[in-house]
Amino acid sequence: MGKYEGDPAWDDVVPIPQDDGEGALAQIAYADEYAEAMGYLRAIVAAKEHSSRVLDLTVEIISMNPAHYTVWLYRASTIFALDHPIQQEIEWVNEVALDNEKNYQIWHHRQLLIDHLYPSISSDPVALQKLANSEIAFLTLMFNSDSKNYHVWSYRQYLVRKLNLFNASEIKSIEALLKVDVRNNSAWSHRFFIVFSNPEYATPGSAATAYDPGIPDALLDCEIEFSKAAIFEAPQNQSPWNYLRGVLRKGGRPLATQECFASEFAKIESEEEVKSSHALDFLADLWNEEGETEKADKALKLLGDKYDPIRKNYWEWRRKALKAA
Amino acid sequence: MTHAKLNRELHIKYWQRCLNSLLPTGYTTTDSTRMSLGYFILSALDILSAPPLPSAQRTQIRNWILCCQHPSGGFCGSPNHKFPDAYYGDGKEEMDPANLPATLFALMSLGFVGRMEEVKRVKCLRWLKSLQRDDGSFGELVRQGRIEGGRDMRYCFVAVSVRWLLRGYIKIDSVEDIDIEALVAHIRAGQTFDGGVSESSQHEAHAGYTYCAIACLSLLGRLPHSSGAQTDSEISPGLTNISGTIRWLVSRQLQYHNEDDNSDDEGPGFEQSQNTGICANTEPPLESLLINENMFVGFNGRVNKRADTCYAFWVVASLSMIGEVELVDPEPMRRFLTELTQHQIGGFGKCPGNPPDIYHSYLGLAALATLGEADLKQFDATLCISVEQRQRLEILGEEALTSRNYTCFSREE
Ligand SMILES: [Zn+2]
Repeated sequence: MGKYEGDPAWDDVVPIPQDDGEGALAQIAYADEYAEAMGYLRAIVAAKEHSSRVLDLTVEIISMNPAHYTVWLYRASTIFALDHPIQQEIEWVNEVALDNEKNYQIWHHRQLLIDHLYPSISSDPVALQKLANSEIAFLTLMFNSDSKNYHVWSYRQYLVRKLNLFNASEIKSIEALLKVDVRNNSAWSHRFFIVFSNPEYATPGSAATAYDPGIPDALLDCEIEFSKAAIFEAPQNQSPWNYLRGVLRKGGRPLATQECFASEFAKIESEEEVKSSHALDFLADLWNEEGETEKADKALKLLGDKYDPIRKNYWEWRRKALKAA
Repeated sequence: MTHAKLNRELHIKYWQRCLNSLLPTGYTTTDSTRMSLGYFILSALDILSAPPLPSAQRTQIRNWILCCQHPSGGFCGSPNHKFPDAYYGDGKEEMDPANLPATLFALMSLGFVGRMEEVKRVKCLRWLKSLQRDDGSFGELVRQGRIEGGRDMRYCFVAVSVRWLLRGYIKIDSVEDIDIEALVAHIRAGQTFDGGVSESSQHEAHAGYTYCAIACLSLLGRLPHSSGAQTDSEISPGLTNISGTIRWLVSRQLQYHNEDDNSDDEGPGFEQSQNTGICANTEPPLESLLINENMFVGFNGRVNKRADTCYAFWVVASLSMIGEVELVDPEPMRRFLTELTQHQIGGFGKCPGNPPDIYHSYLGLAALATLGEADLKQFDATLCISVEQRQRLEILGEEALTSRNYTCFSREE
């Protein structure tokens, strides 16, 4: 006898079984518990029942299949229908999230919870601050086990927009992550978002790859210095080189403003002084922009022959493009 | 030096096992995306030119796919996401709504064992339209009038593929087409500062999303030429920074050192994700990047992440659609896949030493096929199926349009 079949609390429900049929595709050896629980869920959903036993049932199904998208949605509508305390639900979600790091549905669910909670506290700065603190604290816990978890970063961006966290403490927490791992590209990307999408000065709708006249000069200088310091720390790290290019483009500044800096890491006259393939790439683009195609060509040739041979085809293609221009 | 080789017979055995025996209980967490597993199985057997399925088995599979069709249009991820047919009617259609990715995989799978006539085309296209948001993005399902799911590029690609399969751009039966301009604008807005694509321009670039964006633009005929030359100045190209995108894609290649591998997820073994500390002096000297004939080159999906079988496909296919696949040197990638992630029981694992799984086993084959692997069928990078199957789908799609049942379904009901 199944768990629900023998439970008096479920006596009144007639489960709706589903049959896979003969010769189904990608048949899974479902556990009996899963098949039974799904039968009861179908019956509950068909009856549009929202009750505390629905919450128990969804916990059980989620424990077996956390990627079940409709069970999460049904749980959310039950929570809202019952006025189940959001804080209590968030605590449960925290546990599930820590056990299922790769799961997306949990984060969508969490977003629904915050969206539901928000109107009730939106005029209370203390409550908002408290929520921001507890959410950030939990995300920090998630980042302790995987600081590049894509779903968690997506949720972080939602939170920043929802609670307007374009602030110094957000920048500080990114810097803490980069201190542990300067190659954490997720943290670099989040920094770009915080700095260049801040509604206080960023032009609304400005593309990430476009010049934005709204960005203050002092801020650009600060970001340029930040990426340079990271490059000094680890010259062969792609992330800050990409970031530096991104900052210059946002600020409408030519690459040539950083020629001295990039040359610290690559001198084409003395090949043994190349410390970073990304510096050579940067210089090649810079010289191309400045019309010094011979120097650009030499940098690209060095990349293909010696400093980045796994991308030789690409560097040769860039050389061809130089000559065609 | 061992010669890198794809063991075709072994892969066929692996996929026949996936087709004919029960997948272990551990696959329960993929119940909601079971239709995609079915598509991987059928398509892998096709790419490998495996012996055709007996016709009784084809019929059974076809019936199973059709039993996942939702009465209001679209398909569900597995029968567990659907009610038995008797329960639908009087407003209950929304009890377990159809799912967008499941719909694509169902249609693609049907192409191997059935015909498109059996699809509720008009309902499916109307439902597809209802999944699009004002900002051009798509959700994965609609429930009680609310569009659910992220705004990422996967759903954009899936939506456009469904439209392609059902010939949704052909105006019959007064089905309104999706908003293409809004969709292209959404994709343009997903390009990141470093040249990749993400779910939005404010998130981290990701090779899977980059593929989906490019494949979507490719199906819409909106890819710019890689030289930057514009063919039609009236139409905005889908990629805002093509040279940046190419740079980002080729940068996903990383040299893999077999000897110092360990199982730590972000640990040593990979040139570019090696360091978790902050000291520059723990970096390998640049000279160690020098090429050698036994070199393995894998692909990561984001900057400074480790190499993974599936990203070989997402990256190489993206370059192929842009018309620049020769920027990748095929041999070192083949060596990575065939010597390091190809498994002795057939299939591919995610990383060297991992057991095979359906997803990585399919994308490993797809990556090799995109680069023209001799033992595999010619491959279409955009739809991620063989060229032969793409042609078959085109024929099935056209044929179905002449079937009254298919085009006028909504009027008959
Ligand atoms: Zn993978």
